[in-house]
Amino acid sequence: MKLIRKMKKWWRTQPLLSVATALLLLVIVQTMVMTFDFTLAFAPEFAFDVKLKAFDSVSAWWQKWTTNWRNILLNNSYVGMIALAMTFVIISGGIDLSVGSTLVAVGAAVMVIINTKEAGILTQLGITGVPAVVIGVALGLLLGFLLGQLNGIVIAKGKVPPFIVTLGTMMIFRSVTQYFMQTRKGAALPTAFKNISKFQLGGNMILPIIYWLVLAVILYIVAKHTVFGRHVYAVGSNERTARLSGINVDRVKRRVYALTGVIVAFAAMVQVARIGSMDYASAGSGYEMDAIASVIIGGTAMSGGSGSIIGTLLGTLTLAVMNNLLTLMGVDPFLREAFKGAIVVAAVLLQRKEK
Amino acid sequence: MLKMLGINKAFNENRVLMDVDFCVKEGEIHALIGENGAGKSTLMNILGGVLPCDSGTITLKGKDVRFLRPRDAMDAGIAFIHQELNLINDLTVYENIFIGRELKTRAGLVDKKEMSRRSSEILKRMGIQLDPGTLVKELDASYKQIVEIARALMMNARLIIMDEPTTSLTDVEIGVVFKLMRTLKSQGVSIIFISHKLGEILSVCDAYTVLRDGHMVHTAPVAGATADELAYHMVGHSVRTEKLHSGMQGGKELLRGENLSGRGFENVTFTLHAGEILGFTGLLGDGRSELFSAVFGVEKLSGGQLWMDGKTVQVHSPRQARALGIGYVPRNRKENGIIKDMSILNNGTLVTLDKYKKLLISGKKQRAAFGTLREKLRIKMEREENLITSLSGGNQQKVVLSKWLAASPKVLIFDNPTQGVDVGAKEDIYDIIVSLAREGVGIVILSSEAQEIIRLCDRVQVMYHGRSMRELGREEMNEYNIMLLATGGGEVKA
Repeated sequence: MKLIRKMKKWWRTQPLLSVATALLLLVIVQTMVMTFDFTLAFAPEFAFDVKLKAFDSVSAWWQKWTTNWRNILLNNSYVGMIALAMTFVIISGGIDLSVGSTLVAVGAAVMVIINTKEAGILTQLGITGVPAVVIGVALGLLLGFLLGQLNGIVIAKGKVPPFIVTLGTMMIFRSVTQYFMQTRKGAALPTAFKNISKFQLGGNMILPIIYWLVLAVILYIVAKHTVFGRHVYAVGSNERTARLSGINVDRVKRRVYALTGVIVAFAAMVQVARIGSMDYASAGSGYEMDAIASVIIGGTAMSGGSGSIIGTLLGTLTLAVMNNLLTLMGVDPFLREAFKGAIVVAAVLLQRKEK
Repeated sequence: MLKMLGINKAFNENRVLMDVDFCVKEGEIHALIGENGAGKSTLMNILGGVLPCDSGTITLKGKDVRFLRPRDAMDAGIAFIHQELNLINDLTVYENIFIGRELKTRAGLVDKKEMSRRSSEILKRMGIQLDPGTLVKELDASYKQIVEIARALMMNARLIIMDEPTTSLTDVEIGVVFKLMRTLKSQGVSIIFISHKLGEILSVCDAYTVLRDGHMVHTAPVAGATADELAYHMVGHSVRTEKLHSGMQGGKELLRGENLSGRGFENVTFTLHAGEILGFTGLLGDGRSELFSAVFGVEKLSGGQLWMDGKTVQVHSPRQARALGIGYVPRNRKENGIIKDMSILNNGTLVTLDKYKKLLISGKKQRAAFGTLREKLRIKMEREENLITSLSGGNQQKVVLSKWLAASPKVLIFDNPTQGVDVGAKEDIYDIIVSLAREGVGIVILSSEAQEIIRLCDRVQVMYHGRSMRELGREEMNEYNIMLLATGGGEVKA
């Protein structure tokens, strides 16, 4: 009895526990679905049949399992990175809806800059190869920083609610990008740039996954062990107390959005490097909602002041594994969003802490 | 018409009302006065059905009544107008008057015409010129008060409780409200008037009752009474406690303000020396908190000049104030002092996080800095990683204090330092303040508790309506003089 009570208390006080449990359950089900064949027959008589799927060997099963996982992680690494940045924004008491549009703007700009065809800006200047890639990446990060900084300045100095500011820039960034790109033909990217994502480690394309995880570690340290990180929590929890404690609240807010801009720019380049092109109308759209969903599932409060990077990492994985599971089970793609929505609400219900 | 007899009320062990009797006649304006914490609000909350009483009887027009909910009191004809008005700014006057009990047409829609007509009628009966279609946000403060009263009358209130209705009003506006109160009185409505302003009580009320430390100590007609008399009853012969002054005077000048003006205060001049404890006191709306918010850079100064260490300075943000060596322990700890989602350790070192870092914060240095202060301030806690909200009010306050002490300020401003703090922690905080002064820190105490000011301060400025009435030295500093100046009147006695 005592143990049960203790477990109950632990469950209520540790917000990550429920996400971790949900993720674990999903992974178990996912593995089962990959291993066994479930047949469910309703008529004429109810029958439930489980058969081991045909695999030549254990190693064949293992290969399928790891490939599936690699794909899950690879496909979610961009949103995963953006969700990490979004965690800071939401902890600071804000929101950033413009991440998807920032991604498109940076992706387009970088392609224009490093295009190896004649139209490429650096090609025209006679810069090619690795130097061009370095300059292109630097400019891409700078653009992301500036776009984020723009959000931050209007939010901090103009005292406009973050939702409104970033809703506005979400429309502006994408629309302006589409305007400038409508007459440009597709770009050819230098191999050195493509290698940002495609360089193979141990015969596998896993660099985007590594970027994601390394970024998670860095941001975890920033959140927990730097003055900036502590100030973000303070501002999100109680802006007034933060200001009265001599914290430069405006600067903290500006930095949060600028940081997000830089991370989104990085994600944009990783995505462009992998895919080699970008659809300016649809790339990155919906990323803001997926990122926010990951953050919320990870236990970060929308009102700001509390939350964690680890939570967001688990949140992104939960969504990713669930999506994969639905595909494996052959659920209609139109229904997937419904499951996503349900899990967001369920996560918040599970995480209600006792006051 | 109203008799409350033998009312008792305790919150846990804390008895706040002891056998209180309180009676109001029909068509009478009855003042209820007493210091902060005397039990006035508790008594009125019992009458308004907000709180239940432990024992005692309430008779209204000869009938025993018992109010379990605010609604019961309203139905019995008692209206409670709170200090913070309950109006919806974006609705019109008549919509506010009828809110929650809107009239409907037969089709089930809101009957605006009828509501507007009846509102006009009520306002006319009150002798007030006001278009019921006006939006409430366009009204000035006194008319908002009038709309509240109109709402009370629309509910057929025969007894109206007004909790400090004049604090946010100008003199002209106060005149308007008083005129209306007299009109209502002539129509047989009774009013309970809670106020700290003795002059107002003498001019508008018929009778007064004084509460002190949960006891009803005096009740009498106003006719023939003087402000002195009222102040005497409010303060009483409470026990003197030993004074704790820093005992240091004449250190070098640290902070000086001349003719400081801003929102809520005007033309205030003060000087603070090293090792000195300077008090600022007054009643609600006196402007002392606004004054020092501006000194600390939270609000703007519209006029005057500030000196720190003999140099003129302009403070635009708390960050600048901190850099100058000014610290600030604000009032309303929950809203301004603590960060509820953070640990004790992080709250206690929030101001000085920069000191403990190279690139990352060194947990060791942070802990060491907080550990020293924790011992010095005798903060009682289990683990410093626990949330600050796990601490008692007194210990939370000490943590807030520690975050400023970590910055070793030259001047430390305390606004209501013992708000919501138990007796033991209160004495601890007094000891800390005095020992800081002995170490040469210049200290400003803002408090509405006269006792606290007298025990701690070397000098005190008493404020009234944003102006400093006078500075009292140690010899003149007593509760009587403070009360008199704080209520806006009279000559002090040595």
